[in-house]
Amino acid sequence: MEKSNWCRKSLLGIEELTNKEINQVLDLSKVFKNELSDVEKRSDHLKGKRIVNLFMEPSTRTRIAFEVAAKSLHADVISIAEQSSSLTKGETLRDTAMNIQALGADAIVLRHSSPGSPLFLSRIVDVPIINAGDGAHEHPSQALLDLYTLQEKLGSVKGKKITILGDILFSRVARSNFWALSKMGAEVTFAGPSTLVPKRFESMGAKVSHNLKESLSDADAVILLRIQHERQSSSHFPSLAEYTKIFGLNKNRSKWLKEGALILHPGPINRGVEIDSELADSSNSAILDQVSNGIAVRMAILYLCTNSTTS
Amino acid sequence: MTVKCLKGGRLIDPYNGIDEKKDLYFRNGKIVSDSEGKSTSDIENIDVQGKIIFPGLVDLRCHLNNDSVSAGNNILAASTEGSAGGYTTLLAMPDLGSIADNPATIEFIKDKISRNSKIRILLSGSLTKGSKGEVLAPLGSLKDAGVVAFTDCPLTAQNNQIFTKGSEYASMFNLPVIDLPRDLSLSRRGNAHNGPQSLKMGLGGYPRIAEELFVQRAISVSKIANTRIHLTSISSSSSVEMIRDAKLKGSLITADVTPHHLSLCEKSIKDFNPNFKTSPPLREESDRLKLVQGLLDGTIDCIATAHEPYPEHEKNVEFDLAPTGVIGLETALSVCYQTLNPQNGFSWLKLISAMSLNPSNILNIDQGRLNIGSDADIVIFDPDKNWIYSTNERSSNATNSSFEYKKFKGKIVTTFFKGSEVYCT
Repeated sequence: MEKSNWCRKSLLGIEELTNKEINQVLDLSKVFKNELSDVEKRSDHLKGKRIVNLFMEPSTRTRIAFEVAAKSLHADVISIAEQSSSLTKGETLRDTAMNIQALGADAIVLRHSSPGSPLFLSRIVDVPIINAGDGAHEHPSQALLDLYTLQEKLGSVKGKKITILGDILFSRVARSNFWALSKMGAEVTFAGPSTLVPKRFESMGAKVSHNLKESLSDADAVILLRIQHERQSSSHFPSLAEYTKIFGLNKNRSKWLKEGALILHPGPINRGVEIDSELADSSNSAILDQVSNGIAVRMAILYLCTNSTTS
Repeated sequence: MTVKCLKGGRLIDPYNGIDEKKDLYFRNGKIVSDSEGKSTSDIENIDVQGKIIFPGLVDLRCHLNNDSVSAGNNILAASTEGSAGGYTTLLAMPDLGSIADNPATIEFIKDKISRNSKIRILLSGSLTKGSKGEVLAPLGSLKDAGVVAFTDCPLTAQNNQIFTKGSEYASMFNLPVIDLPRDLSLSRRGNAHNGPQSLKMGLGGYPRIAEELFVQRAISVSKIANTRIHLTSISSSSSVEMIRDAKLKGSLITADVTPHHLSLCEKSIKDFNPNFKTSPPLREESDRLKLVQGLLDGTIDCIATAHEPYPEHEKNVEFDLAPTGVIGLETALSVCYQTLNPQNGFSWLKLISAMSLNPSNILNIDQGRLNIGSDADIVIFDPDKNWIYSTNERSSNATNSSFEYKKFKGKIVTTFFKGSEVYCT
């Protein structure tokens, strides 16, 4: 593959990306998706590279997607989870990362509960840092794969109306998706209870709605977010049952959606809470497309960051 | 003993309402009259033309952050940085490693201070035992041991009964209660203001209302307990309005603001730099403007630094995990001069009142004035000197300043404490 003209060593968030950079990732994702579908075409672009997955928060699909992506490019992958690292012995993130660098990592994929921790690490170590989710700040690979999936299904997202429904306040996926979609010209509505979708999100440029019907009625796609009752304590909404009653998407309410409107969910799904089982498996659902596109998009991210013109 | 004469400078002495070109004489640690100064032949003239001369600054909120090992070092560091910033009097908050809730701790720290400090460091006693907000501390015994104020800062009693009774009890000793207004139930895990900047960054959790509810509490308690309550580190625009209204109605409430809240807003945290993580957090530009206005119209009585040193390895970690607090003694005056000077209503008399005379009055101490017979705590400031602040040039291991590499116009060049030069550029 020819040398890329990608000049960003680390992928820390979507907010800082240009449209050109976003398109560059998506174009390369298409190439890799094509390669994935055909064993003959598979190539070894990252052969000899060592990718370290440093996951300080529980994660299944993001971690595995990065692992599969790296292995598909023939990289060596080492996964470190908090429970198995020296961080449980009191070692700081800074020291852990410097040790990982000293052990010869070519890139670190970081999942951490502290917003800004990938930026923090990128200033300490020389290797590329790929943000796999930092607190409620950003989750760039998720947003890029969501955008990829939406473009695949809708063509361009320019002028399209996308509703992101659920716990926006504590969601990195909501923020990253907002940046990706709005940069590409979509109109983004954040919807959900007033405590989880405060009006001040309008300062970012999003529309805010606390009315499910209204927020669904003209949407070309709805991105549902997992409701994490354990994280917000009980002060932000009364119960999962009440959430489902007011904001859960079920068969009946899906009639409020336009014909052919897409349903996305970054997973893991709480069936019966934010979405009915039947809908999650319906033809409108792009949930499994997201998962498989997630591999190609992460291959593109790993390739670009380890081959950037600055590194 | 030689008389020293600061000759040809512009003298600012708010207590005596003086802002004029005037010589200042001192001998043996005390200020002497012009006639006494002129009558001796044993005189050392110091040319201070073009410079501004004013009483040593007084800081109402300073954290020594001692642990038992480095207590002496931290006191030395605070006094070194204080004197470089023109401070000759600091009030230490009671979080001294162990909480200053008993006379023995006060005596221990007083001894450390007498052996390590170049300037005056006064102590406050905690209002409640362990600053836990559950049981009142022995305020009378603490006063006997020498404290000049009661406070649980950086905490405050969440239990309104304890706070009310504590304030009422404190009124008997005629010492002020200093309160950092913060409702923890609304800000327990707060690491930033709930504003547009922190929202994008996934931070927040310390909204204005957490301060405002407790500002109102202090105003109400001050009234019913007839206690002087001083609100420290005000950050919200509505707090300024509440304090203004209360003062109009004759409230005993007083308040201060930090140099960083006067000069910075929440946008400063955009790079997740923990050196902008303060308590309370930096808020929005609209708040900042109201704080400046409140200071200049006298609603806010004084400027306090909230100086809080941390070693680099503790402070420079992930933003939400970093401790709150910044250092500020050395930069306070330059920051305030640079921020306030272009504003309508600025005057040197107001600035020095806010940084010297008013905090002295709140603590009921004799500093902040250049009377004949007063301690010769005197600062020489060069309003035209350009300089760049850097923590690299400092002796202490704390680097948590919001003003690293900041360019300033206007610098303290000399500080005298009781007539002795404790700082000189």
